Amino acid sequence: MIGQTIVDNLGLFVQGYLTTILLSVSALLAALVIGSLMASMRVWGGPLLSGIAGFYVEFFRNTPLLIQLFFFAVVLAPRNLGITADPVIVALIGLSVYTGAFATEAIRSGVLAVDPGQIEAARSLGLGQLATIRLIVLPQALRTVIPPLGNVASALIRNSSVAYAIGAREFLFMGLLVTSRTFSLEPYLGILFGYWSLTIPLAIVLGRLERRLGFAR
Amino acid sequence: MTGLVARSRRVRGIAGSLGGYLGLAIVLGVILVLIVAGVLPPRRWAPFSDIRVWLFLLEGLWVTVQIGAAALVASLILAVPLALGRIALPLPLRWFVVGWIELVRATPVLALILGITLFMPRDWLAPMWAATLALTIYTSAVLAEILRAGILSIPKGEVDAARSLGLTYAMTMRLVVLPQAFSRMMPALVSQMITLVKDTSLASIAAVSELAGYARSTHSFFGNPAETYFLVACVYFVINYTLSRIARRLELQRAKEPPVVVPVGLEDVAVSRA
Repeated sequence: MIGQTIVDNLGLFVQGYLTTILLSVSALLAALVIGSLMASMRVWGGPLLSGIAGFYVEFFRNTPLLIQLFFFAVVLAPRNLGITADPVIVALIGLSVYTGAFATEAIRSGVLAVDPGQIEAARSLGLGQLATIRLIVLPQALRTVIPPLGNVASALIRNSSVAYAIGAREFLFMGLLVTSRTFSLEPYLGILFGYWSLTIPLAIVLGRLERRLGFAR
Repeated sequence: MTGLVARSRRVRGIAGSLGGYLGLAIVLGVILVLIVAGVLPPRRWAPFSDIRVWLFLLEGLWVTVQIGAAALVASLILAVPLALGRIALPLPLRWFVVGWIELVRATPVLALILGITLFMPRDWLAPMWAATLALTIYTSAVLAEILRAGILSIPKGEVDAARSLGLTYAMTMRLVVLPQAFSRMMPALVSQMITLVKDTSLASIAAVSELAGYARSTHSFFGNPAETYFLVACVYFVINYTLSRIARRLELQRAKEPPVVVPVGLEDVAVSRA
């Protein structure tokens, strides 16, 4: 029967699928927090804070995620910092830091895209610095920032598969486990369809959103 | 006065382009101080004072460069028919091209690499070239989208002008549209090269020894994984940061042209025009 190898190992597939979703969602949330913080440092911080945030972005954006995960796996391991040996937690930390660099750039470009005249106008109307950022800059930045952040989220789902390399039992890990047990093409196609079921709806929603936001501007 | 502004801009440009190297130099300097002060274990860093270790890693880097260059050239060649197919093919055929591009871009690169190295018989294609094939499939789909955005950004009037001068459709594409589209996609292309260089490291999971694989051999010999991975990350950083500076420069040169609308799904490219 078609799909028999997948049905027989459905438990493994579902477990991996849920792990991938959980890993991606929590890493995205963490990356957004890191991104907001670093983007604020980059835009409104002094030369030192801005420089630190800038180097964080450049370093983590320009080095392979795989190397970063290996590094975190070693450093966080019990015999070094002793924080965790759980590969899923290591992957969560690594993915958050890596994706945070891209989120920083997306948020920063959104903030910078706000017309400086708007800020001057708000300031001369008597709004304080924080009020200007909160009421004028952020609502407008949100609109420009959503499409690139969507791209970041899509890349994050696909990048979460690299956690396989440090032994996290996510979707690719489970799928390849079944593939190597049965050595048939079917479970491998299951892996592809599983990832597509996450990334393609996201791409469609993003495409629509982008068109709508584009019209609104 | 204008000269002053221009000069300060140039100075800021140089400082901006050196920022990353400067940051790396500071971080490496701090580490060196900590090693000398005995905070970091000197024993684990000592192997890297030996030039032979670096020559060994250089061998791995050479494999990385080979995989990256081969995948880049092959992807560029494949991207042209994919992009043109998505624009110009009649409808039922166009759906196949659209479907192929969208499905490939929605797939994790690692899943592609492992799938192809797993199912491709070894006597057909060595693992190194199987991994290169996987990277080519992925990168060509992304480059096709970048090229398509470049082609669509060329004003329609230019095509009309070329056609009314008597050029055929193929000649219009080859002589008028594609050269301009390629020139406009250069910044995005160089950005995509960064992603490609990073993705070559995934080949090491498929038992292909490139830089990341050589890093593994190095640290399992000396027993210093954290130090090795950090320094290898620095090697990748120098390559990719240099590429990102080139992309930025190309982008500034094109600042007066209308921006190319970048398709959804490209994490690096979408934010590059800030």
